[in-house]
Amino acid sequence: MRGAGALLAAALLWSSPPAPAHHAPNSYLRLDFRADSVLARMMIPRSELAFAMGDAPTEAALPGYLLKHIAAATPHGAAWAVKVSSVHATNYLEQPYFTAELELLPPLGASPRNFTLTADAVTHEVRNHVVVVVVEHDAADAAPSSRAHVLGALQYPARSLVIDRRRPSPAL
Amino acid sequence: MKATLTLGCLLLAAPLGAMAATAADCASAGGGEIKPVLAAVSALHDVLTPPQRALMERPLTRESAIQWSNLPVALVPRAGLRLGDLDPKQDAAAQKVFAAALSACGLKLLEEVRTADDFLKPLDKDSIGWDGGNYYLSVLGQPSPRTPWMLQVGGHHIAYNLVFNGQQAGATPMFFGTEPLRFEYQGVTHEPMDAQGSAMRKLAAAIAVHEKAKLSGTFTDVVKGVQMKRVPGARFPGGGTDIGFPLTYPNGTEDRGILYPALDAEQRALVRAALRSYASLPGSAISRPLISAYESDAALRDTYVGYSGATTLDARGSYVRIDGQRIWMEFVVQPAVANPAEIHYHALWRDKLADYGGEVGH
Repeated sequence: MRGAGALLAAALLWSSPPAPAHHAPNSYLRLDFRADSVLARMMIPRSELAFAMGDAPTEAALPGYLLKHIAAATPHGAAWAVKVSSVHATNYLEQPYFTAELELLPPLGASPRNFTLTADAVTHEVRNHVVVVVVEHDAADAAPSSRAHVLGALQYPARSLVIDRRRPSPAL
Repeated sequence: MKATLTLGCLLLAAPLGAMAATAADCASAGGGEIKPVLAAVSALHDVLTPPQRALMERPLTRESAIQWSNLPVALVPRAGLRLGDLDPKQDAAAQKVFAAALSACGLKLLEEVRTADDFLKPLDKDSIGWDGGNYYLSVLGQPSPRTPWMLQVGGHHIAYNLVFNGQQAGATPMFFGTEPLRFEYQGVTHEPMDAQGSAMRKLAAAIAVHEKAKLSGTFTDVVKGVQMKRVPGARFPGGGTDIGFPLTYPNGTEDRGILYPALDAEQRALVRAALRSYASLPGSAISRPLISAYESDAALRDTYVGYSGATTLDARGSYVRIDGQRIWMEFVVQPAVANPAEIHYHALWRDKLADYGGEVGH
């Protein structure tokens, strides 16, 4: 009984193709721990970014915007240098995303494995949005795993995550 | 099934828009009393095959309990007994479980939301699982008149988590949504969330006269819903269930909306009507103590109501929230998925004290 007769009604009502996914998309901040820096690959859904930026986001506008919303600092509060290496449009789960690559450089003498990461490019505005912080690779892992894992998640009002990987990574 | 549809039709015989749920409106179906619910579960057990029983009966653990979602089943597979796989006799027995545990409103919502998924089924070109048959029933723990156990019913747009004999009366987390908002199916007009939409719309419009009621930020979904936490790489991300439980909630007095005592009598009545439109979905034996707790003077003194976006709730990002000592109810307007030009609703009811009856995770 279920489903019968729905086709005609639906076809009459709607002609747009269906979207494949069904959730407000999250951001992903994928970290690659290197010997003296951290490479951060930020994946931000365009739809949610538009709410946060208050305008249609563009590749050209994104580097400057991200530098205001992504930061790292030593445990004592000294700021790391942050550089946006690239920004490009992409798709994830068939939704439009931007992927930005950022290099995070600690001050001279500071550990690149112990810092406070701040990321609120969307979450400062979109209350349900979550930034999933992921370790994608760590050069210090004795036995690197191909399986990335989640370090934490940021949702308003949380905007910062303390990261301390000075000890060897646990087995993944 | 037939009985449920008949009930839905009877309720729909009332003029649409005049169906604001109250406890009295909802009291005509199941009472949520332990004895009839147990009898119905036992009768269902008797007509299932051993493999079906194994699917339905799961342990009452945090891992089992948090397996609900607001995503279609192809994105977040559900555990339990798939209702679409039941034969007519088994389906009738399952309907008696729902009828015993839920109020008339809760039963109607379940049936109409499943019908909405049936309506969407022809549009499911990517096989994400829109199908009224893709709803599941689980019994977590050993059904008992004394010890805790849980009835979990869910699929794409319903998550009922009813705990019996728990430390707390347990009806939460409860998620429900609908797409489309209103549709005709087999000659009957359905508007599954008319009661909740109407109640929240009236509430938003009434409190909007207070500047403090406006919440900052943008809402593109419920705030305390399921979480997608796994890493990119797969076609779909993992998670999508209540993996964040137990949750933290806003505290303090800022940006939570306006306090109930600051409202006038008419506005206060709209707050109570809105919270009852959610809290009356379980049978009254379950909902009565919860409504009583939420509407106590002490609780209402510390209850905030806030909104964002359009108070008419006809635009993406429109949002209403009731946030008290225990109560957490959200209503959000999202773009529709089948037709992005349309909108659809998501609603969430959580209890800061009594999610899962206080039986897991605290």
